[in-house]
Amino acid sequence: MIAPPAPPVTPIGRVVATELKPSTPHQFHFWTATDTSIGIGAIVKVEGLGAGGSGLGRVVYGVVTEGFAYSDLATPLHDVVGAEGDPTRAEAPTARQEIRYWTVAVLRQTPEEPLQPVPLGQVFVADDADVAQALRMDAYLYSATPTAIPIGLYTSAGLEAPVYLDADFLVGPEAAHLNISGMSGLATKTSAVEFLLASIFAHFPAHKGRVAALCFNVKGPDLCFLDQPGDLSDEDRRRYERLAVPSTPFQRVRLYAPLKADGVNLNTLRTHPDLVGDVEPLTWGLQEVVDYAEVLLNRDDIDAKADAFIDFLRDRVLGRAFDDGFGTTHRVQTFADLDRLFRSIFDGLEITAGGRSDTWRTHHIATMRKVRNRLLNISTRCKGLVTDDGPSSDLPWKGFEDRTVYVIDIANVDPLGQDLVFARVVSKLREQLERRELGVDAVVVFVDELNKYAPGDGPETYVKKMLLDISERGRYLGLVLFGAEQFRSQVHRRVVGNAGTQVFGRMDMDELATPGYQVLTPATKSKLATLPIGELMVRHPHFTQPIFVRFPKPPVLRGRDGVERFPPAADVPFDDAVVRQLVRLDRRIRPNQVKDLIADREQDDVRRALAAVRRTRPDDALAYFRKLLGARVAPDASVPREHHAVPPLNPISDEPY
Amino acid sequence: MTWWQALIDAGAVPGRGGKADEPEGLERADLVEGAELQAHPIPPRANARVPAVVSFLNGIERWSVVAYDGVVQIVNAYIAAAVRRRDAQGVLRTTFERSRRFVVAPVERMTPALRQILEQSVTDIEPIDGELVGQPARYLEKVESTVRRARAHLERELAEACTAGLGAEEWLLIDGLLSRSPTVARHPRALGVIKSHGAQFLEGRGLERALTLPAGNRTSVFAVRGGHTRTEVYSWYLRLWPWEGNDLLYGLLRIEGRAHPDTVARASELSGWLWAERAPLATPATRWNRLLYPLQQVEEYLKALAPRDLQLQRASRLPRTGT
Repeated sequence: MIAPPAPPVTPIGRVVATELKPSTPHQFHFWTATDTSIGIGAIVKVEGLGAGGSGLGRVVYGVVTEGFAYSDLATPLHDVVGAEGDPTRAEAPTARQEIRYWTVAVLRQTPEEPLQPVPLGQVFVADDADVAQALRMDAYLYSATPTAIPIGLYTSAGLEAPVYLDADFLVGPEAAHLNISGMSGLATKTSAVEFLLASIFAHFPAHKGRVAALCFNVKGPDLCFLDQPGDLSDEDRRRYERLAVPSTPFQRVRLYAPLKADGVNLNTLRTHPDLVGDVEPLTWGLQEVVDYAEVLLNRDDIDAKADAFIDFLRDRVLGRAFDDGFGTTHRVQTFADLDRLFRSIFDGLEITAGGRSDTWRTHHIATMRKVRNRLLNISTRCKGLVTDDGPSSDLPWKGFEDRTVYVIDIANVDPLGQDLVFARVVSKLREQLERRELGVDAVVVFVDELNKYAPGDGPETYVKKMLLDISERGRYLGLVLFGAEQFRSQVHRRVVGNAGTQVFGRMDMDELATPGYQVLTPATKSKLATLPIGELMVRHPHFTQPIFVRFPKPPVLRGRDGVERFPPAADVPFDDAVVRQLVRLDRRIRPNQVKDLIADREQDDVRRALAAVRRTRPDDALAYFRKLLGARVAPDASVPREHHAVPPLNPISDEPY
Repeated sequence: MTWWQALIDAGAVPGRGGKADEPEGLERADLVEGAELQAHPIPPRANARVPAVVSFLNGIERWSVVAYDGVVQIVNAYIAAAVRRRDAQGVLRTTFERSRRFVVAPVERMTPALRQILEQSVTDIEPIDGELVGQPARYLEKVESTVRRARAHLERELAEACTAGLGAEEWLLIDGLLSRSPTVARHPRALGVIKSHGAQFLEGRGLERALTLPAGNRTSVFAVRGGHTRTEVYSWYLRLWPWEGNDLLYGLLRIEGRAHPDTVARASELSGWLWAERAPLATPATRWNRLLYPLQQVEEYLKALAPRDLQLQRASRLPRTGT
């Protein structure tokens, strides 16, 4: 993957050390000609003899972190005097002697022991092989089982060298997770993640197994067109070739979106007729929601009594025959069933007990009313995602495929629903990865807007606890968090701190002034504040200093280009939407057949029948649909519904990561 | 009010000076421009015609007593000279460079054993009159003049080599006398810039006009007669910075050019060029008012290359107590 070593090149500078600015094992200084290709972020190599041959055989690699220029002018006043106080006369026949003086942070020394100050040798621009050495990439690039994942090209001083991350430290198990931060619109965070996912899919080593990605689309159409090709320049294609990453869109993309409140139109911006057929509806029923009741209840609600009642419902009521004590047996599988149970209990207390009792099976009526209101409210607020009365349409649990991107579009979902989707999906991923039954060995979960989901301050929400749990324990499971945010300083420090790889796009100066960036030099901060689109600063466990890399434009259609090329279709009438969904399942179906069938039918009945067809996927969809419409479509009790309690999370503590 | 303030109020020019250059005696000069030495304003800086390419020549000398054979002082000496060409961008690049390390010692006065060791280990020995070894101060003066003479010889060689290859529009500016080499002294595009004024060429009214020359003026051109070590050249004084408030020699240069009518005709134009060379200031050199920046740069270049054992000594030889 690395080009052969280039022939010897001429030095571009010399190391200098003074009593005030000496060379140390971790830092040195050198000068160059005033006209030089060196800049902040350039990787250089020091070779050659120091004084008395002290540096014989020692090679030092470093990255330029600061630059200075000055002349022999003793005081600015002398320039004023020389120009006779007139700036227009400031041009003098002789240019003052100038210096370009650079400070370099050491990346690596060979031999590594004994660790000594950098010798006063000649300075060279690093070539491909030097970059691999300097960044310690040789260990995972040239090993028998390479684990190198290209993240971009180091481009400086007229050279271009691929930079690789170590899959063991990006996807686990040694370290894991990636955090990317930068200004909105200029840092190209989403593009960087899209490229990196393509790179992971192309280079994830076979011995590490199968890998998939799951992306939450939380903003507009950002991730809705990952399967469509974008416009790439020749330069971008050349970079893809250099990095050995295919410049094609993702071959396998599965997009999921909840339905709108009408229960048939998809709640996504990918509704263009040419593409909407690839979007799977995402709908959940009571069974899927109740395990995550904690997400739906704010912190004040979660008292011991409510918690106990929810546990009671979960363990004793849901999915089984249950006698309410007032003569009615319930089988609660939907929100409608649950509502009937609650009504029966409240009526029973009122009528049978004559209003004298305010407890039912040790649960106070007020607690039950509160839990009822919260649970049933979700089916109203997230109508379309949560079905009031019907089966679910879910992700392909246990059937995740290798090198596949699963996108869940929750951009237009109520924040409560977003939390619910996130909590349930991540919990299921964790649960199935733990049991090694997901279908893949590792899943990269991409979450944008970490400022919102895992803020450094604010309430301890269930979602934040989930993110902390992934950050701290996900690497053992193969559950990898790729998080993005605008302000890294405002994200929970354990979420950020546990990210083995940190990526920075263009940053706001106010953000750079926060304590988290104190380790960066003013020049590096200045470069970060003016980074062009497509360039990033990367920190990785193998790199002792941050490195600037350039990555090509992602090979997929950007969100806003996608909605221009494939404008979202307007919501279609109920009968057309039903037709569209059935035709997608069975292309032999004629629209008029469906429209005749559902004419004068209750929409709820049609929705239930449609959901059942979606779930069952029969050979003859229309016949099955017709059969279901014939009677009330009851929830299918024959389908075994697994019910795994989610393991408790660690309580949030203040311990540093 | 001080007494000198009273004098100034009455018409005297304020001054601030001290020891002047070492006197070298009266030299013979003949006016070649006009009947009487006059002050001539030079063109303003905006109209100065600075040659596109100019080479600058300067040299340095270093010496120190490194051993004693009885009272015989054995001197380690180093001289160097360089020519740096200024390109159209104003950047100086070295084109000629020469140096010499040698020993100054009266070998005939040394003990045979030490003389043998010296002659075996050093090939370049500059002989010196051994009669002065008993008078250390006069001996060291002799050493100094010997080293200076060697430096002048080196600079002359370099100047001749440079003028031999000087481009059609290229000039050579020498720090010091132009008249040491006949070849260089007769070159149409070589000038000498003299900062020391120990030698006196004028007297009477002419001398007074030269020493009180206003800034931005030059004197009439006069001829400096040649001798057995010198070629006749034309010369004039040029004031770069106002002397009022300083001393009579402040900012005063003497320029030497070839003895040719063209030099007289172009004296003002050449002075305008040199006036433009005031910037950048040659600070932090103490003689910055008489030192042109590119010539200082040649000197700094040579200093940077000088052997470390002959770098200028610190003021105190006591060890420093801290950093």
